[in-house]
Amino acid sequence: MSILIDENSKIIVQGITGREGSFHTKQMLEYRSNIAAGVTPGRGGETVHGVPVYDTVKEAFEDTGADTTVLFVPPLFTYQAILEAIDADIPQIITVAEHVPVHDMMKIKNLLKYSVSRVIGPNSFGIISPGKAKAGFMAHRIFSKGNVGIMSRSATNCYETVFMMTNSNIGQSTCIGIGGDMIPGSTFSELLPFYQKDDQTKVIVLIGEIGGIEEEKAADHIKKHITKPCVSLIAGKNAPKERSMGHAGAIVASDGTGSAENKEDKLREAGVHIAESAMDIVDICKRLL
Amino acid sequence: MAHALYKAHNVPTPDGIVIDSLDKLDEKLNNIDYPRVVKAQVQIGGRGKAGGIKFANSPDEAKKICKELLHSKLKGMDVNKLLIVQKANPIKECYLSIMLDRDYQKPVLIFSANGGIDIEQAAKDDPDSIIKIPINPLLGIQRYNIKYILKKSNLDLNLEERLFPVVKNLYELFIQRDCMLVEINPLAINGKNEFIALDGKITIDDSALPRQEQILNFREELNEEALVKEARKFKFLYIPIEEYGKVAVMSNGSGMIMSCIDLISKEGIKVGAVLDIGGGATADRVAEGIRIILSNKDIDLLFVNIFGGITRCDEIASGIKKAVESLSSKKTVIVRIEGTNKDKGMEIINTVKGIISVDNVREGVKAVVAKMEVI
Repeated sequence: MSILIDENSKIIVQGITGREGSFHTKQMLEYRSNIAAGVTPGRGGETVHGVPVYDTVKEAFEDTGADTTVLFVPPLFTYQAILEAIDADIPQIITVAEHVPVHDMMKIKNLLKYSVSRVIGPNSFGIISPGKAKAGFMAHRIFSKGNVGIMSRSATNCYETVFMMTNSNIGQSTCIGIGGDMIPGSTFSELLPFYQKDDQTKVIVLIGEIGGIEEEKAADHIKKHITKPCVSLIAGKNAPKERSMGHAGAIVASDGTGSAENKEDKLREAGVHIAESAMDIVDICKRLL
Repeated sequence: MAHALYKAHNVPTPDGIVIDSLDKLDEKLNNIDYPRVVKAQVQIGGRGKAGGIKFANSPDEAKKICKELLHSKLKGMDVNKLLIVQKANPIKECYLSIMLDRDYQKPVLIFSANGGIDIEQAAKDDPDSIIKIPINPLLGIQRYNIKYILKKSNLDLNLEERLFPVVKNLYELFIQRDCMLVEINPLAINGKNEFIALDGKITIDDSALPRQEQILNFREELNEEALVKEARKFKFLYIPIEEYGKVAVMSNGSGMIMSCIDLISKEGIKVGAVLDIGGGATADRVAEGIRIILSNKDIDLLFVNIFGGITRCDEIASGIKKAVESLSSKKTVIVRIEGTNKDKGMEIINTVKGIISVDNVREGVKAVVAKMEVI
């Protein structure tokens, strides 16, 4: 089955006429994703790689019945673009931009309680169900179809893991970029239930990092509700305190909140296999499959 | 920075003047009222203890303090600016802050009737004295929030009239300026039951700086490490890790950088600094990155670990070649490249003398360990 994205997903690209939007629309089309429409205000009526462009998300939604939108929009315009998608009742909103102000995501996260939408990202590579479809900018050649579901706060750590998995003939069901920001639209614990229900996913991999308590919440959720084997890598064990490590969310507080040790302890307690490196993840998955 | 922003957002502060040069001190200091407090404008903790806060009862005392303090160093930071404010006579000192709490995903209002203290210590010693309430960002500050914190800290409910505008204005500042934290400590109450922000601290979300021009100006004045600034010019992120660490890591993503630090540290080797060159780097930028990180004198060895998705390995390799061949120093460079155009990249790498090339991260870490034993 795979989750969130597949060959039946109808996708809108917001910001389709921009350099990144246009380039990655082509990439997504080559991967046979169903890109149903694009949106750029003021450019309605044009086409990009054969995809019709609309001025507003609502028009694009009404004409195509899309279920997902991907935002190739600059960080300071992301808030407005997400609002428009939420207001058009698009079920799934994927936002890739890095450096979206955290106040914007705080407001979005509180607004989502009154909407039908789910937000993935920001600072995310998107979602890919290998062999079916992708929505985002990930380097898709390294992915292969299989039974491991991956969620990652980091793009590079996910690529590294997937590359080695594919080389070891271990494929993936769906890979989701949670994103490296402080307030992600969707967290590990909010997405775990999808993997639990998915027939194709046999093992779940969580690539986390220092900062916040999302891995701890995931551990709680796994303990109570997840019966599939889980593997986790936590990056940033040796990062200095109170210094953001590039990802806005990767920061250990002065009181130690967000440390890798605490996350690993909680995950281990919940029965999750702890990996020390990307290679380690692959070795553990080999044993579990 | 805090004083100017509080003033701009009508959060009451004592009257003050800024001194950034020793010229015209008479003109500036003779015609103001005394006593006054002189505060060095540096971003350090424990500023009072370090000698950064002094009291002046007369113009002469103020001038003497200015001459001693301006252009001096406090905990290694240059003092380029002094703020000279009226000395308040508080009958009580409180604590007030608003911070963006990533776990509540809301602003959190924190208040204590015992101000002027280290709030983290107080939270441990007497947690009941600290009142913490999440604010719904869709509603903002309401009068009942103020009643609640006054009640919980055993203060007179009549203070609500005076406290409400202070908190509301502070909240507006927090929202409009994209703050991670606004803190007033101490928040004084004077004999007329007025609230005055005696000292404050503000931190801003880095991602929001492009839309906060006024803050950007303040940021320019911040004391930062030279290499951090140099790297930012090229839109690289340079992060100092451990003091006197001899190994540096360069990579194209923060996740991978953190993983490398972890694997090298696990072998008991200190990483001194890291550089994130981001996605899609060109040869010239790679060369620039290597130059910057190797200009750190403590660094003897650089591990370049690149996974090319958007980034092409041949571009990376050309950049490494260019940088390494122009290096005068004999620093060790270990390279691991993987991904798009790897073969082309390896052809280039193999022509450069003195580079150790490895096939994966595990081997790279082994090579770092082997080399550091020799150095």
